Amino acid sequence: MLTLAVVSGLGLGAMYGLIALGFYMTYAVSSTVNFAQGASVMLGAVLAFVFSQQLRWGIVPSVVAALATCAVWGVLVERFAVRPFVRAGSNAWLMSTVAIGIVLENVVLFTFGKEPRSFPSPFSGPHVQLGDIDVYPLQAAIPIVGLAVAFGLAVFTRRTRLGRALSAIVQNPAAASLMGINVSIAVTASYAVSTVFAGVAGILIAPLVTVSADLGTLFGIKAFAVAILGGIASARGVVAAGFLYGLTEALVTAFVGSSYTNILTFALVIIALAVRPHGLFGLAAVKRV
Amino acid sequence: MRRDFHLPLLLVFALAFVASANQYQLYLITLAALTVVVGVGLNVLIGLSGQVSLGHVGFYAIGAYVSAILTTTYHWNFWLALPVAALLSGAIGSLLGLIALRVSGPYLAMVTIAFAFIVEYGAIEWKGLTGGANGVMNIPPISVAGWDWSQRALAVSAVSVAAFALLGYRRFAASGWGLALRAVRDAEIPAAALGFNPLAARTLAFTVSAVLAGIAGAFFAPLTEFIAPSSFSMFQSILFVLVVMIGGAEHTYGPVIGAAIVIALPEWLSGLAEYRVLFFGALLLVVLWIAPGGVAGLAARMTKRRKSETIPAPASGSLAVVNGEALIVRGLGITFGGLRAVDDLGFVAKPGRITSIIGPNGAGKTTAVNLIGGFYPPETGSVSLGGVELAGKPIHFIARAGVARTYQTSQLFGSLTVQQNLLAAMTRGQPGNPLSAAADDNQHAVERAAALAAFAGYTGNMHVTANALSHVDRRLVEIARALAGTPKALLVDEPAAGLAHGDKAKLGALLRRIAESGVVVVLIEHDMSLVMGISNHVVVLDAGRCIAQGPPEAVRRDPSVIKAYLGEGHFQPRPRALGWVAPRDGALTVSALTAGYGGAPVLRGVSLQVNAGELVAMLGANGAGKSTLMRSLSGLLRPVAGEILLLGREVTRFSAHQVAGAGLVLVPEGRQVFSELSVEDNIRLGAHTRKDFQPGEVDAMLKRFPLIERRRTKRAGLLSGGEQQMLAIARGLMAKPKVLLLDEPSLGLAPAIINDLFDVLANLRDEGMTVLLVDQMAALALAIADRAYVLESGDIVAAGSPEAQRGDPALERAYLGET
Repeated sequence: MLTLAVVSGLGLGAMYGLIALGFYMTYAVSSTVNFAQGASVMLGAVLAFVFSQQLRWGIVPSVVAALATCAVWGVLVERFAVRPFVRAGSNAWLMSTVAIGIVLENVVLFTFGKEPRSFPSPFSGPHVQLGDIDVYPLQAAIPIVGLAVAFGLAVFTRRTRLGRALSAIVQNPAAASLMGINVSIAVTASYAVSTVFAGVAGILIAPLVTVSADLGTLFGIKAFAVAILGGIASARGVVAAGFLYGLTEALVTAFVGSSYTNILTFALVIIALAVRPHGLFGLAAVKRV
Repeated sequence: MRRDFHLPLLLVFALAFVASANQYQLYLITLAALTVVVGVGLNVLIGLSGQVSLGHVGFYAIGAYVSAILTTTYHWNFWLALPVAALLSGAIGSLLGLIALRVSGPYLAMVTIAFAFIVEYGAIEWKGLTGGANGVMNIPPISVAGWDWSQRALAVSAVSVAAFALLGYRRFAASGWGLALRAVRDAEIPAAALGFNPLAARTLAFTVSAVLAGIAGAFFAPLTEFIAPSSFSMFQSILFVLVVMIGGAEHTYGPVIGAAIVIALPEWLSGLAEYRVLFFGALLLVVLWIAPGGVAGLAARMTKRRKSETIPAPASGSLAVVNGEALIVRGLGITFGGLRAVDDLGFVAKPGRITSIIGPNGAGKTTAVNLIGGFYPPETGSVSLGGVELAGKPIHFIARAGVARTYQTSQLFGSLTVQQNLLAAMTRGQPGNPLSAAADDNQHAVERAAALAAFAGYTGNMHVTANALSHVDRRLVEIARALAGTPKALLVDEPAAGLAHGDKAKLGALLRRIAESGVVVVLIEHDMSLVMGISNHVVVLDAGRCIAQGPPEAVRRDPSVIKAYLGEGHFQPRPRALGWVAPRDGALTVSALTAGYGGAPVLRGVSLQVNAGELVAMLGANGAGKSTLMRSLSGLLRPVAGEILLLGREVTRFSAHQVAGAGLVLVPEGRQVFSELSVEDNIRLGAHTRKDFQPGEVDAMLKRFPLIERRRTKRAGLLSGGEQQMLAIARGLMAKPKVLLLDEPSLGLAPAIINDLFDVLANLRDEGMTVLLVDQMAALALAIADRAYVLESGDIVAAGSPEAQRGDPALERAYLGET
């Protein structure tokens, strides 16, 4: 039972961490958050389903096309639900990204349909015996892909020219613009990357759950909790908080009962923020006058 | 207060509708009334206190379940269950508020979302109490003394509760508490510095909104006779926020309009019922785009009523004389990032006198004021006012003890009127009874506000919002606001910045009159003429330490003070090699450049030229506009008028990254290195726009700066100030600039490092780099410059060779003021 919980906790945690990295990206670059992340998760899953199962494209073109559409969606969110409000110095982006997410979910509801649909079960075919449980390739792939993306992001920001430009903006946007870095393009790009992360998570989750228009809602909210717990401005903190949250959830489900999972984990989020208001791994910003 | 006929009219209209309505219409109007009640609560939270909650459906659900369970399972009377529902929601609300409101923005959103989910899942899982997913059925109708009330009576009660909520909101918003909430929303730290406790104020708003949501929920149960967790989804929370946004946050009747739209529209569009959620999502987006003030905001904009005008009587009279007590500072100190920002500062500021703290940029003056006012807790030392120890106490405690202040950039409560700013300050953070008469009903207080404004020299309308004030008026109103709480000590941080000459003189006279009433006045100011003209005692800071104090005349003549301002003389001047011919080709040509930050322009038609291969120094006192010039040239600040040409190409309207790409590169004030990145990465970033960048260039650049070469893999934040400055210059050079702008490179550096730095700059000059240098250390800048300009109050007042400038008494005057 413990092994099973750990395997599924790591998988869930990797997904939360991946979606939360998307929250981190936009927050670090522009101090705004995309509350339509849950809808982005759903978009990735639904498009991958439509392309691969209904249109019978191959798996690679389906995934590439789904992620590319997610990127375009991210650009649209930034352009229409974030930028106008940031320019006006308002924090209405909070409600507007919530609203644009609702709109997308409903558009999908009426085009894709209301009935949840399933990918072919991933729990068949070759697998590995781990103690007394079977581990299927997808279950192993989820944490691996999650960690690979997180690792890739770290390498990208450390080692590449554009990555360094991004870290420069995170630390000091004005000084970055003095280096000739176009900050507003970087903000748009961060939205595209963040929705692609959500799309990747959606595609990986899709075979484990049923695909429907509200698939992403709870994932998005939990991933946001993860981002906040991780201190939102720290990539490592966010990934660590993802695994912590996933494992906690799996362990509560295994040993307390699945009906208490959401109550307990959300209560723990509130308690954690009461004790550490800036997240488990975050630092308080210095207030200046 | 003006008589308001809207509410009685609205009530009569609603009751008339109730009287004639059929069963279904009764249901709708009751639901609308309950939505108004929730909306009014959220209006307190969103409108008055500026916080958004995405979880208020949780309180609505708690109210509904308490009322349903008590009346159904335990057969209580509804009217007994109602207060229990309200109290429980309120108690949970204040607890959650205390947790959630220490942080704001996304963190608050998270806590409220988590709360709503806990309530929803709790209702599903706690089957014994809540009936689980099936909910509570057969909830009895409301009864009085055993008589069942009809649906009509329920509608009358709900409409009455909504009317009471609206009435209460109107009184609350106009009361001292309403002012307090809006003050905290507009400017949290200054509100605390007037004695308000921001956490307490926000928690109150959260609690009020929770209570109202709980009450509405309690009515919801008998209305539908059946509740289940599915009635209280996350989307309902968003709908509640929509009610406030669509109607117009902070407008009393906003929630009425919002509730009418949210309840009535789906009825008209009943054929499209399944698109309801899509419709509301899109509606919210559209409202945010085109009418962020909601319907009420739009209406207010169209029917712009003439506001009443009250002009304070012309400046006259004096403040009530305060029984003055001295502010005594001893051994005050604090360290920021390894740097001793203020060290062992001690002085006595006596009542009835003006004590000024002066010093070059970065000397620690504002930090000293922040320590005295409690904005930072001092690490060492004490601050006492009339024997009461203040060091380490919270800001609002220090404020209530009688210390008031103004800010470098004025921090009025922007959406409040001048009168409201002063009324809020008069309460000293104790706004009294929340449902008492409106704050502006107190004739005595209103008169006193007008008298204070007049005393401070404000001659405009008392009913304009602070955001609409001119720069001068903001300064004056801010001083009046600081005086409103009858402080014993007033800290004034750079009040003259950006003021025209005549206004400065009036300001000086005002500060004298304040001091004469017995108040301790502590002034921080860059304008030396003003300081020398009105001060009784001057404290001079340099690099965090007090280097001299005494009467102004003595300080003005103190050689160590002159040295601190104009720089050390022991740098060996580095003249150009013999035979150097001054170039004539303009590399950077600026004509009639005007720039500022709204209000009066800081630069007023500045023209200058830097020729290719020249090093030109821009001199001037703090506040003369040097940094504004550098920000405008580099594209960080868009000029209001004028022209900037770089090698004949116009770059005036470029944004910062385009200016840098064009080859006009700024090494900014305060160095601004990327502290989390390595030294090497910082240098690489300098070459970001260059396509011909070769990795070997990093090594070549590091060779030129031996001081940082051996730290190439270290994080830039770990470097000393001097090393960071070298890094910032190296980073700037990597862009192969056509013209290099250097803003205050010597700021805050030790003298030995400064000499190294100027050697580096002289080398650059000899290699043929074109440089425009702004530096406080006039003597040093002149030692390496080919030409110099002197900037004073946004105008170029002198230009010419360094030799001519050095002997010019105008230069010393520009830095240290007239005597």
